[in-house]
Amino acid sequence: MLVYILKRVLATIPVMLIVAVFVFLLLRLTPGDPAAILAGDAATPAQLERIRDRLGLNDPLLTQFFTWMGQLLRGDLGVSLLSNTSVAGMLGDRLGPTLNIALMTITISVLLAVPMGVIAAWRHRTWVDFLVMSFSVLGFSVPVFVIGYILIQIFAIELRWVPVQGYKAPSEGFGAFFSRAILPSLTLATIYVALIARMTRASMLEVLGEDYIRTARAKGVRENVVLFRHALRNAAVPILTIIGTGFALLISGVVVTESVFNIPGIGRLTVDAILARDYPVIQAMILLTAGIYVFVNLLVDVSYSFFDPRIRY
Amino acid sequence: MQFKNKDFSNAREVLNVRNLRIGLTGRPQAQPVIDGIDLTIRAGETHCLVGESGSGKSVTSLAAMGLLPKSALEVQSGSIMLDDFEITSASHSQMRQLRARRIAMIFQEPMTALNPVLRVGEQIMEVLNMHSDLSQSEAKKRTLDMMDQVHLPDVNRIFSAFPHQLSGGQRQRIMIAMALILDPDLLIADEPTTALDVTTQLQILKLIAEMQERHGTAVLFITHDMGVVAEIADTVTVMQQGQIVERAPIAELLTNPQKEYTRTLLTAVPNLTPRPARPAAAQSEVVRVAGLDMTYGGGGFLRRSEGVKAAQDVSFTIKPGRTLGIVGESGSGKSTVARAIMRLIDPTAGSVNVAGTEIAQLSRRQLRDHRKHLQIVFQDPYRSLNPRWTVARSLCEGPINFGVPRAEAMRHAAELMELVDLPRDALDRYPHQFSGGQRQRIAIARAVAMKPDLLVADEAVSALDVSVQAQVLDLLDDIQERFGVAMLFITHDLRVAAQICDEVLVMQRGVVVEYGPAGEVLANPRHDYTRNLIEAAPGRHWDFANYRALDSAAMTTGATA
Repeated sequence: MLVYILKRVLATIPVMLIVAVFVFLLLRLTPGDPAAILAGDAATPAQLERIRDRLGLNDPLLTQFFTWMGQLLRGDLGVSLLSNTSVAGMLGDRLGPTLNIALMTITISVLLAVPMGVIAAWRHRTWVDFLVMSFSVLGFSVPVFVIGYILIQIFAIELRWVPVQGYKAPSEGFGAFFSRAILPSLTLATIYVALIARMTRASMLEVLGEDYIRTARAKGVRENVVLFRHALRNAAVPILTIIGTGFALLISGVVVTESVFNIPGIGRLTVDAILARDYPVIQAMILLTAGIYVFVNLLVDVSYSFFDPRIRY
Repeated sequence: MQFKNKDFSNAREVLNVRNLRIGLTGRPQAQPVIDGIDLTIRAGETHCLVGESGSGKSVTSLAAMGLLPKSALEVQSGSIMLDDFEITSASHSQMRQLRARRIAMIFQEPMTALNPVLRVGEQIMEVLNMHSDLSQSEAKKRTLDMMDQVHLPDVNRIFSAFPHQLSGGQRQRIMIAMALILDPDLLIADEPTTALDVTTQLQILKLIAEMQERHGTAVLFITHDMGVVAEIADTVTVMQQGQIVERAPIAELLTNPQKEYTRTLLTAVPNLTPRPARPAAAQSEVVRVAGLDMTYGGGGFLRRSEGVKAAQDVSFTIKPGRTLGIVGESGSGKSTVARAIMRLIDPTAGSVNVAGTEIAQLSRRQLRDHRKHLQIVFQDPYRSLNPRWTVARSLCEGPINFGVPRAEAMRHAAELMELVDLPRDALDRYPHQFSGGQRQRIAIARAVAMKPDLLVADEAVSALDVSVQAQVLDLLDDIQERFGVAMLFITHDLRVAAQICDEVLVMQRGVVVEYGPAGEVLANPRHDYTRNLIEAAPGRHWDFANYRALDSAAMTTGATA
């Protein structure tokens, strides 16, 4: 098992390397002079030369690459062109809110969606199943910002249960964090509840038709035990896959929600960086997103063998 | 042959089914699946319910367990009494209380009947946790004791094993331990040995009998295998299309069947006495296999691993118009040999010569032209035909690939349908519109459409009912006679081998232990393994088709030809 995990960790290195090469080339090979892009329209030739020098653009491509990789491995992601502060530091500040919201969203989604899916499968083709599936279609089709504004209207403006916008870290008090994080998390959760519930239902429907479920019933096992002990674990692999992918998507896809709820996370950082053509920040964002995807996939793969003993590597 | 002959008329009635009707849910007007059956099972009795697929025997047993799939089937009238408790009107929780405690069930597929992600010990213990107040340590002790009773070796290790780590026989023992741990009054066994090898089957049948003896359990045993019935039954009930055809004590049913259908069933049971070998269509051999080796795995990146030797040094020849049977239990390597000869897998070493061409080492591309010489019919006709293709498309695909014009391929397909006894208009239908036997006929027609020199049949009749099995075997015989094709018949069933093979090759763990004319090998086996196989065949001393015992003299005279 340990050997397997080690192998999987080692296997992520080439993937990350390819991403790094891509990110490096993104800036160097885009048409036009990177320095000109970086400096903007109003730059003087002297300014351009200074930027070229600072970025090492006068060196051969390979030298540039190794310099850049060297910096990357030391955790140096460069300096933001906009704020002139370290990109690594900026990301560090912004990652906290995004991660916390993402974790809360995925927790809410799993807690709601898995029981929903299980019950829908158990009561296949009844009104319960129909209700869950209708909700699922709704969750898919209503845009995130609409749900966000509706939730704000009801819970923040009408009922005044929670603040409209803003973010407080959990370290500043869980209540303060929770009351501000709950609406954005619920907003984001709708689509994931829909997705996970659907996957759980489909996977459970298949498993509930298996012989060992009949065996469990034949030995007089209670129905909830049949569902959650016998069936759900067997149905787990596709559900885990969708949860893992969902979590990774969440972190890279929080742009709209962070704008609506005014949360200082990486989503807004990305938007700002793109609008300002802040290339070092954009590069760092791509690297970070790819890293999160690779890491979450690794986690999901390793967790399979925990749920299904037949999976051995 | 010795039958059971104990009288149960004074024993307590454990299960009493009266005028039971089961039909499609919400459609009381439709033809019922179970049409007014009566069934009485007494304490200590083994009651066999026999019939072909679709006769309703499994539905009857599920109804007794209260496990009918509600969305599809429902009890429409009649009663099922377990002692003095009415099952048809029981609530969910009453039924749950009853299961495992009063009435338990074991199923056909020990692989799929156990939960793959839970340890087998926990699965047995769960029964105790659900139905008793035993502490965890007491429950575990009781579980280990029960595992010991069903003769599982090394119970402490097996307790924490997962199902996929056990053999089929061990898994079925786990199922039996699970079913009997609370000492129920009635055990329902639904084809519990059908998926097992003959020697394992014998052990499991003995185990069920032993447990029954010890606990006085009544057993409702569902099977299609008359051999098994002859070995274990006290009473037999024959079912057909949801109705009871005949019921009698075992000796009476086998010696003096009253109803036509029962006689048909008994006549269809293939005889263990080998038939005389037939003349070859030509003297030169069409298939020559020499020194065939197949090793799976092996290689390895840094350290050279051993690999699994699935077949070692297998050699044989087949003449046109003759049939060679490869028999053996699961894991003997018989299917590996078939696949290596078909080049569905690449043999590790050895030579395979078919119709004058050495094919063992041909590349995939070179092989393509030779594929038409070799055709295969698989075990499961439900999965070997493309469900989205019409029969015509399945039959024509091969010939068209080899350059036959479409119109001619279609004409030939129509002829083939006649050959396999199916209507011509069936060409436009899809596989799901046919029964299992008809589908296997289509699969045979598909193979024959290529005019092969060698036809490989990999357990081709194992999934079929005996009467259908007999028809398909006749069809294969007929085809062989007409086209002079050589046939390689892979089977685990010695009765089937005796009916169709001219020569037999017995395999055990990848090695050929005996090879010779069917008459020799099956009537005078030289190797212990062959002898064990033959002795394990249930009901081997009974000549079902003639309602009489099979004396050993008859066995040998049949073998001299």
